[in-house]
Amino acid sequence: MGTVDTNTRTDLYRTMVLIRSFEEAIRAEYHADKKPAWDIGAGLIPGEMHLSAGQEPVAAGLMAHLRPDDAVTATHRPHHLAIAHGVDLNKMTAEIFGRETGLGRGRGGHMHLFDPDTHFSCSGIIAEGYPAALGQAFAFRSRGSDAIAVAVTGEGAANAGGFHEALNLAALWQLPVVFVVEDNDWGISVARSASTSVASNADRGAAYGMPSTRLEGNDVEAVHEAAGEAVQRARTGGGPSLIEIHTLRLWGHFEGDAQGYRPDLDQVDERDPIPVYEATLRADGVLDEEGIGKIRTEAAARVEQAIQFAKSSPTPDPTEARRYVFAGAN
Amino acid sequence: MTDIVFPAMSQDKADAEGVVATWFVADGETVAEGQLVAEVAMDKVDMEVTAPVAGVITLAAAEGDAVRQGGVIASIT
Amino acid sequence: MTATMPQTGSRRLSTAKAMVEAISQEMERDESVFVLGEDVGAYGGIFSSTTGLLDRFGPTRVLDTPISETAFIGLAIGAAVEGMRPIVELMFVDFMGVCLDQIYNHMAKIHYESGGNVSVPLVLTTAVGGGYSDGAQHSQCLWGTFAHLPGMKVVAPSTPYDAKGLMTAAIRDPGPVIYMFHKGVMGLAWMAKNQRSIGAVPEESYEIEIGKANVVREGSDVTVVTVSLSVHHALDVAEQLAGEGISCEVIDLRSIVPLDRAAIRASVAKTGRLVVVDEDYASFGLSGEVIASVVEHDPTALKAAPVRVAVPDVPIPYARELEYAVLPTPARITEAIREVMHP
Repeated sequence: MGTVDTNTRTDLYRTMVLIRSFEEAIRAEYHADKKPAWDIGAGLIPGEMHLSAGQEPVAAGLMAHLRPDDAVTATHRPHHLAIAHGVDLNKMTAEIFGRETGLGRGRGGHMHLFDPDTHFSCSGIIAEGYPAALGQAFAFRSRGSDAIAVAVTGEGAANAGGFHEALNLAALWQLPVVFVVEDNDWGISVARSASTSVASNADRGAAYGMPSTRLEGNDVEAVHEAAGEAVQRARTGGGPSLIEIHTLRLWGHFEGDAQGYRPDLDQVDERDPIPVYEATLRADGVLDEEGIGKIRTEAAARVEQAIQFAKSSPTPDPTEARRYVFAGAN
Repeated sequence: MTDIVFPAMSQDKADAEGVVATWFVADGETVAEGQLVAEVAMDKVDMEVTAPVAGVITLAAAEGDAVRQGGVIASIT
Repeated sequence: MTATMPQTGSRRLSTAKAMVEAISQEMERDESVFVLGEDVGAYGGIFSSTTGLLDRFGPTRVLDTPISETAFIGLAIGAAVEGMRPIVELMFVDFMGVCLDQIYNHMAKIHYESGGNVSVPLVLTTAVGGGYSDGAQHSQCLWGTFAHLPGMKVVAPSTPYDAKGLMTAAIRDPGPVIYMFHKGVMGLAWMAKNQRSIGAVPEESYEIEIGKANVVREGSDVTVVTVSLSVHHALDVAEQLAGEGISCEVIDLRSIVPLDRAAIRASVAKTGRLVVVDEDYASFGLSGEVIASVVEHDPTALKAAPVRVAVPDVPIPYARELEYAVLPTPARITEAIREVMHP
């Protein structure tokens, strides 16, 4: 482990706590009004909900190295990455609640968050976010900027066509991209061992001609170190890299997923990365009870503020449903 | 009067033949120097032909007719 | 005729060269415009859609890609999101299957999903159409499929003049435009062509408004609504039928999305008879949409049942006899007009 300074370690922890606080709050809001019979289309947050609890180390470690002008493309499970990259929490929450003040004026929802201020985007089609990152990187380089693009998918995406096409083209054109694969073991209900022909997607990255690594342990500082190298490589014209991070999906694929297919369900909580890192920071004297308490309280307050902003925002006008199909006069 | 000839598109065969694939001007039209007047084709390679001088063009080959490279396809007065 | 047609005697280009001229002029004017796709560089596009651009602008602005449609169309989308203006070529529209997600779920939806905060100013060019025995996977038109999916404009020029004007407009449009060029109107040296594939084109830059149809021949007996190569066939038929006393009004749609329903309705209000000529598949597409546009607006406008001349829901056959039995040929167009005149 490389040396990460105390401030950075605290920031990493703070980011992870903010993400978890947000995901827990959204989870509660999501389920609150889907009773007594659980109706996916009911309530203030209808539709599917894919939460990232357990995957905080990926977001915190990775985004610590990014600037707002760096692009990030993410998946149907985007909240941790958006929060860590600095997407406006109020607008993001309002979008999740389908409000007019949301990032997409309520038209995108939780899987389709677009923030031009931080060049953040996500979509629900597996592996299809990788190609857009190539284009953003291409545009940055064409303009002489050292901004980079970070493209994040799950391990299931590593078996989809777009993943492979993107790796090849990025390496061929030496684009300033960092490819990240979040391996949380599960493609919905199908274990990685039942979907993927190789033990490590780093081998696939290497097969396409780029420096690649796989990290075990869901360790935020290991992510931080590997990401730092990859980001620096991209920024200085060294081309793309791939980092696969073995992480943990603490909850279901989506909210409402009973996970009957998952044999390790009762051991999942003990692998929760936040208590693990918290214990490490305590032991190293980086944080004490008071410091931890302060971070948690601040996170909860920030999240509550965002949720209240969302709930008090207007819902979109139905007569405007066709507005914004085309750019230009609207 | 200036002749427009079918361009030399074959190194190997001196009497190689091609066709005028497209006339961009009509017989008797006034053309400007450098104006695109025809597209010719030989062995699946296409080439543009421009007017070497300004003037009135008289076409000497129809679209699709076989013409030897070097052969006159039009003239400008 | 529209007032914007150029004077006789101006220099002529093929549709392909006119399209290239538009791209070239826009690339001169705006350094964020760039071109990418398979064989668009040294080869100049397999249907001459990019001839000469590599020599003029170099390999940083005209890029050959690997056979990775998802990746390079996605790349174009990402670049457009960041403010560049890519022109990306899908070599044959028939290849849309391998990359349709990027097109219809991403390119077409990003502006809407982002509440208008993110734009995708991209032109997707693609070759369409049959008639030269390229078979079922290389002869389709498919504008009906793209038109059906919300969020992208769809244009299909029939002449060199329109090809240049629509390309300029497409490049300058703030959103995604699918530019569908029929191989049979390109005026290629190596494919049989209709004389209207060569035409007068102004040297200066100009735009044709996307969403505006063109009445290319005025008439009083029957409205023939059509697009792309079929415009040429419809005009040939109209000329011939004029000798028999049938006056055909031919509308070249030029744009499929937005569809100029007002022009269609105005013409049918005048003639009372409608023939739609559409080289795409007959059912569930453009031809039905044109008819619906009339009937929904005024069911009494028609004196006779409308007739559509389209490909009859069959994969395009290879053998010439079979292919020409399913394409909307001048013979079929003639028969359709006679049918609507004397039902």
